[in-house]
Amino acid sequence: MTGPLIDIRGVTKTYLSGSVETPVLHGVDMTVERGDFVSIMGASGSGKSTLMNILGCLDQASGGTYLLDGVDTRSLGRPQLADIRNRTIGFVFQSFNLIKRMSVAENVALPLIYGGVGRGKAHARAMAELERVGLGALGQRTPSQLSGGQQQRVAIARALATDPPLLLADEPTGNLDTQTSDDIMHSFQQLNRERGITIVLVTHEADVAAYSRRLVRLKDGRVLYDGPAAEGLRQFASVQIGIAP
Amino acid sequence: MNPIQVLIESFRSMAANRLRTALTMLGIVIGIASVVLLLALGDSMQRFIGKQLQMLGTNMVYIMPGGDRTAAQRAREGKVAVLTRGDAEALNALPSLTGAAPALQGSFKVSAGNENLSSTVLGVTPPMFTIRNWKVDQGTLFGEADVRAGARLAVIGQKVADQFFYRADPLGRYLRIENVSFQVIGVLAGEGRQPDGTDLSEQIVVPITAASAHLVKSPFPQNVHYINAQGRPNVAMTDAIEDMKEVLRDRHRIRVDDPDDFRIQNLSEIADTANKISAGVALLLGLIGAISLLVGGIGIMNIMLVSVTERTREIGIRMAIGARPNAVLLQFLAEAVVICLAGGLVGIAIAAGGAALITTFADFEVYLTLSGMLIACGFATAVGMFFGFYPARRASRLLPVDCLRYE
Repeated sequence: MTGPLIDIRGVTKTYLSGSVETPVLHGVDMTVERGDFVSIMGASGSGKSTLMNILGCLDQASGGTYLLDGVDTRSLGRPQLADIRNRTIGFVFQSFNLIKRMSVAENVALPLIYGGVGRGKAHARAMAELERVGLGALGQRTPSQLSGGQQQRVAIARALATDPPLLLADEPTGNLDTQTSDDIMHSFQQLNRERGITIVLVTHEADVAAYSRRLVRLKDGRVLYDGPAAEGLRQFASVQIGIAP
Repeated sequence: MNPIQVLIESFRSMAANRLRTALTMLGIVIGIASVVLLLALGDSMQRFIGKQLQMLGTNMVYIMPGGDRTAAQRAREGKVAVLTRGDAEALNALPSLTGAAPALQGSFKVSAGNENLSSTVLGVTPPMFTIRNWKVDQGTLFGEADVRAGARLAVIGQKVADQFFYRADPLGRYLRIENVSFQVIGVLAGEGRQPDGTDLSEQIVVPITAASAHLVKSPFPQNVHYINAQGRPNVAMTDAIEDMKEVLRDRHRIRVDDPDDFRIQNLSEIADTANKISAGVALLLGLIGAISLLVGGIGIMNIMLVSVTERTREIGIRMAIGARPNAVLLQFLAEAVVICLAGGLVGIAIAAGGAALITTFADFEVYLTLSGMLIACGFATAVGMFFGFYPARRASRLLPVDCLRYE
């Protein structure tokens, strides 16, 4: 397909609590081309997580359009959205979100099983994916027997099990130490370069955002900056110190 | 997601909360156990009654002395109600009956060699053999001449023969009943409980004259304890009973307006009563079963709701990686059904144990039927489906974003 992988126009999101409307996104426009590596930054309350949830089809926008891989997601029902999350999107969360009762291999195989792949085949592919992230020997362990970094690798293996074109990561290094964070970000970079996977990640750490090619900065539900990561991060640093560019 | 995967997941989540699962199951276990036992009991009861009737013939009646009034009432009126051998002979001559026979019955000390036991002894006349359908395995039954002679002969049940003579041939040997010798001339075929509660194989049958003279030793040798009569197959039982009443009222010189001084008990009435009792027991068990299934079902619903809440985050994860709402619904529904079915199987096992206990201790055969077990499994599944649906639907309707935010 030729168009951008992600194309959102005028996306708004308003939360209703009782009769009080809380607008979070005020018309966000953004496109992500195939193979791009984008970081979304912003202070808490800027709407970056809300945007991420909408991009991941975990939540629906209140207004505007969202074309994912050319498909208008607002016209889809819940089963179709589930299928999109299964085949088109891989998720990596801050808190890993592995199912504790299941072995590591079963966790990785689960998206395949929901996608209709048979048990044996799903298991084989899960093991191959674990091999890729360097955890092939730990398939039979439970998540609690692994370190944080290892758990996040399992989560990455799970996200990629169905071979989706898009990887969404919400603060993937938020629960990890600096060394492990660097390792994880290196793997992201590698995935982006070698497998051509489009990556969108949310972070509030400049060190993490520095791994990406492009930066989108949100403030109060609007896009403040959208451009090369290096440039954006420099501007941000200057603002931080209080020197005009 | 294939069914095997769904089942594996169900077992896994049940295993994760063993105690809770077991407690949740308890209501279903009790409910299914009582339903299965009830079906088995109803079935066995009917079979039992059917066998009794077959053994005795539906057209047999018991005639007892004394009408609807109590002995005390009659004593106040200065009348003593009795039945005599003469009454039995008169009834035996009735064309609407195949026969009528008197009986004296009592428990007496019986001994042979070193064995000394108390046993039920029946004094009868030969027509009783045909009415009750008694036959001998070995030897012979006694005849009219033996009754007239007051011969001290005995026909004994199989257990009596085993008790007193072990494996030796009992024919021609002697039993001492109340220290009077009776010669064994036959061994009764078959066994089983009779309507009066005795076991055929534990019985000793002697000529009524001998029983009267040597055992009962009543000052009125003609009196009998009861009379059995059997209507002809081609005669309506009500007609036969009318004939019997007429003969007895005539012989007892009862005036037209006075009540009977005897009671004719139809065996089908006894069977009806037994049926009613078994229906009552079945109803009670059924009620217990239904209430436990209801309470158990509500328990399941409750626990499933707790489980859905507890696993909100897990539901979110599953949805995020591509579980359709129906897959989530199916998973929780399967869990409820698996809990119920497992509870049902435990219930069936308990019912089987109960049936075995009843069979052993109550001398009354109860066994589970395949149809009963299938019905129970169907019931368990239905309870799981019914009470599991609401929590499962609730889980499937959660929004992934809300679930993932849930702590």
